[in-house]
Amino acid sequence: MTTGSSHRHAPLLLIAPAAILLFVFLVLPYLSIVVMSFRTPGQGSPYGEGYTLANYARFFGDSFYLGQIANTLMIGFICTLACLLLGFPVAWQLARGTSRLRGLAYGVVLSPLLVGIVIRSYGWTILLGNNGVINRSLMGLGLIDRPLGLMYNTLGIVIALTHVFLPFMILPIMSAIQGIDPSLESAARSLGASRATIIRRIILPLSMPGIQAGCILTFVLSLSAYVTPSLIGGSKVKTMAVSVVDALVDTFQWPFGSALALGLAVTGGVIVVLFSRFTRMTWKAN
Amino acid sequence: MSRIVFTVYCLIIYAFLLAPILVVVGASFNAGAFLTFPPQGLSFRWYGVFFNNEVFLRAIKTSLWVAAVSTVISGIIGTMAAIYFVQFAGRLKDGVRIAMMAPLLLPEVLTAIALLFFVYAIGIGTQTMFAMIVGHVLITLPFVFINVSTSLESYDPAWSMAARSLGAGAFTRFRRIMLPLIKPGVIGGCLFAFIISFDIFTISFMLKSVGTATLPIQLYDYLRTNFTPEAAAVSTLSVVLTLVVVVVTEKFLGLRIHRF
Repeated sequence: MTTGSSHRHAPLLLIAPAAILLFVFLVLPYLSIVVMSFRTPGQGSPYGEGYTLANYARFFGDSFYLGQIANTLMIGFICTLACLLLGFPVAWQLARGTSRLRGLAYGVVLSPLLVGIVIRSYGWTILLGNNGVINRSLMGLGLIDRPLGLMYNTLGIVIALTHVFLPFMILPIMSAIQGIDPSLESAARSLGASRATIIRRIILPLSMPGIQAGCILTFVLSLSAYVTPSLIGGSKVKTMAVSVVDALVDTFQWPFGSALALGLAVTGGVIVVLFSRFTRMTWKAN
Repeated sequence: MSRIVFTVYCLIIYAFLLAPILVVVGASFNAGAFLTFPPQGLSFRWYGVFFNNEVFLRAIKTSLWVAAVSTVISGIIGTMAAIYFVQFAGRLKDGVRIAMMAPLLLPEVLTAIALLFFVYAIGIGTQTMFAMIVGHVLITLPFVFINVSTSLESYDPAWSMAARSLGAGAFTRFRRIMLPLIKPGVIGGCLFAFIISFDIFTISFMLKSVGTATLPIQLYDYLRTNFTPEAAAVSTLSVVLTLVVVVVTEKFLGLRIHRF
């Protein structure tokens, strides 16, 4: 730090390693997916020499993959909605609760994040399987004769994914509610507003940024989830992310797998953009 | 009345959050040869099986090693970036934050695919653990960055200036003044990085080299073909290991975690 110019540029050395890492190992690799999706299929190697549009033609021409994208999006929507319905009350309770058990409740919400995703999915296979805890208990109680089909179908995937991503819905909404001035609620209460009215007219609109963040996070994560759909869905129900990974790892169809991955990413991205536009418009209108 | 309904509703959700974890822990003490419910008696049998199973022991070692190496790398790079972000970024602040958080915002499966193609394109491939470590560093970097930069927000640059006027060099100022003050953020970030790395699945799955399966991958491979309670014993131990890391760090180093 002797000359003026090295003095001014010295701080850049702090950000340089991160910038280089992100450029070389994130930006360039993402560009390589795009390039890969235009490659020709290879003979004995993951991809060939030339370039082609055939991967996209195959993707858009095959009703199997289009149906799979639709199914994956539906799973994403249901999970997001379920997480919102389950997460909002808990987020509100955590943000506004005064109970001494609040710390414990917070720990319960964070606990799934400390347990690996493979282990959580495994827990759901123990619960949902035909010989699993839920079916055995219900049969033991004489409520059902045959096991309910809870695993190897879309329902099982939705249940497990909702569990896996629930903390990602609760935490942003909780911080949003914590940021709302409690005196607004007291004022509304003193003017005779019921609890339901306070939630609908004050908490809900003001916590919208948190709700929006939670919904986007949950939706994106459930579209790209691999382990949970793979373990719960087995070979019977495959989400798009599972198909993509299989195409790449098991059958080495790198170019086609890239086209599938980008198809899913672009669809998901468009939905997220539309969703954030729409929610921003509605809460500004209020 | 509505208050009771609300509390019960919340309690059910807490039970839902804990259920799969408790069920795995419970299943690990099952004496039977298969995962059955109700369990056929209590036993530590499957823990014994696990401790004689070299495959799982090697996987745990690999996981700990990968987590330690990536935590050190992202701890250093992330802390440096956080210092730049809080003290020098100026108008670039928003851009730097988005770039640093990008690995967390992008779908992990897409990042894994991207890295797989890239390491093959540049000729490194997945023969070594290089690709896997790079992936872990990318994913854990945002956690270090966000924790350290939150601590730094309350650090007054005047302290550094005072030290400088007394003749302290840049590195001394960092080591003697700034680092002790932002220690909880650095430790919290590194702890989170370690735990996240220990659990990363998709990146490791796509970038693993032969014989370097981490614990989540070994567990997943095992679960696709086996149904013995051994997997439950392995899972329980992994959960306990994570808890030990959290408790020890909190006890001896002090801790403050900022996640969002």
